[in-house]
Amino acid sequence: MSTASRAWRGGRADWKLHVLSGFSLAVAFICLASALLVVFNLDSVRQRWSRAGRASIYLRDGATPQMVAELRSALDKTPGITGVRHVSQEDARQEVVGSSKDTTLAALPAEAFPASIEIDVASTMSAVDLAGITNSLKQIPAVESVETYEQYTTKLQGLMKAGLVASLVLSLIVLAAVVSVVGSTVRLALQRRRVEVDVLRLVGASEQYVRGPFVVEGTVLGAAGAASAVALLGLLYLIIRSHVAEVIAMMLGVEPTFLPWYAALGLIGFGAAIGAASSHFSLRRMVTV
Amino acid sequence: MVPNGHPSRFRPALRTGQKFDASASDRPILVFENVYKAYRADQPVLRGTNLVIERGEFVFITGPSGSGKSTLLRMLYRAETVDDGRILFLGRDIARLTDDSVPMLRRNIGVVFQDFKLVPTWTVFDNVAVTLEVLGLPPRLIHTRVGEALERVGLSGRGPDRAGVLSGGEQQRVAIARAIVGEPALLLADEPTGNLDPLLATDILGLFEDIHATGTTVLFATHDRTLLDVRPRRVVVLDDGRAMDVPHGLGVEEDEESDDFGTSVEDYTPVEDCGLPLATPTGRLAVA
Repeated sequence: MSTASRAWRGGRADWKLHVLSGFSLAVAFICLASALLVVFNLDSVRQRWSRAGRASIYLRDGATPQMVAELRSALDKTPGITGVRHVSQEDARQEVVGSSKDTTLAALPAEAFPASIEIDVASTMSAVDLAGITNSLKQIPAVESVETYEQYTTKLQGLMKAGLVASLVLSLIVLAAVVSVVGSTVRLALQRRRVEVDVLRLVGASEQYVRGPFVVEGTVLGAAGAASAVALLGLLYLIIRSHVAEVIAMMLGVEPTFLPWYAALGLIGFGAAIGAASSHFSLRRMVTV
Repeated sequence: MVPNGHPSRFRPALRTGQKFDASASDRPILVFENVYKAYRADQPVLRGTNLVIERGEFVFITGPSGSGKSTLLRMLYRAETVDDGRILFLGRDIARLTDDSVPMLRRNIGVVFQDFKLVPTWTVFDNVAVTLEVLGLPPRLIHTRVGEALERVGLSGRGPDRAGVLSGGEQQRVAIARAIVGEPALLLADEPTGNLDPLLATDILGLFEDIHATGTTVLFATHDRTLLDVRPRRVVVLDDGRAMDVPHGLGVEEDEESDDFGTSVEDYTPVEDCGLPLATPTGRLAVA
């Protein structure tokens, strides 16, 4: 009988214990998976707002078409600026309100959406050069303000760092929780199957042979806990997404996304590895031939 | 296995890379040399026990509760270690085996317990097959040999039954089948009839005698005097840490000098007093 078959036989006999442990592990992993989900989405936002450098030049209400044309012409000739696009008040309103069914948003006056000139900045342009252009633009009478989104990017990067630190701390907590839960489960399973272990030792089974099924059980338990967490989080995400996705997309310009497949698989692999390691170390102290 | 009473040249299970020493089959299967064991320093269980057991013997180990019968057997499969002295199994000192070698020792020894030690949730087949699965034998061979072992203990066709639902006598038969399916050189029985009624006990003893008849060395620990009287066998009496060897069994006639076990003191050979080399029941001299 293979190790997997023996693990299946033992696991089936203790299925209640394993279901309870799997649930505890799922709770632990859901914390980690949630933190990862936040980090991935923050990263999407950061990428969206730092993409290839861009700036918005908001125009004063009194800016004449001639002033706008002169400004556009000057910007076109400026080295490092790769694209210039005029967004009228109506265009801005259309961009924000769009096909939204939000009546509050639709009721906003035209003045709430200032006209602007959107410029694309070459990725080779340094932050100092961009700051120089921004200062020059602010001197022009038709210009109300200039937004380079630098502060948002900086804030997002700060948030990203905080998210990463939080994820790291959470992973350590999850690691401790998983080690504890898997270790306890394996020890409990070992106690419940004491006779089985005694019999195996009696008939000349090696330590590896005795431990094998327990390590497999720990591995499966860890992987199943992580997989359950990913599945639960996926379900929660689907429920919440339908309510908040539109608002988030409007506010941040990025649609929320679920964990990428490699992160989900990595989490399951992490669960399996931790499960295997913790059951192995728990058994090392308990099973000696 | 071999025909009645003619043990074949034993070839033990060995660790990979180890060569079989043919001379091992000419040595006594077990030699106890001045074995000392104590769980409490002031109350030794065994005090310098000397004993030689030849291949193919059937030996009763008897004595009152706490006299060290189980300890003696447990030391043989290295569940306990000796405090002093040596136990040689086919010439090898059991105490000096490395941890990796202990499973190999156990593959050459079958053990039957009073409480059967079966996994109740497993089937009868699984409980017996585990001995062969550990050896890594192919499933077809396991199936055949388990079937044969169950037939020998009178449980033919009971393989699919769950062990937990069997009667005490049947469970003990399963335990015996598990112990013999690997064709061990030595069969240890630690009070195997302790949980059974007298009729079943005699029945189980008969089973051990049948197994012994095929050449297996049997050490049968019991404190049940009636079993010792069923057939004259070599008896080792443990009491107060000392071992007394009674080569031809405890007599049924009790005289005035008989002890608690109804044994004439004159029948005893106090093993410790013999000195070494020891006279064994088969007349061989065991050089210890």
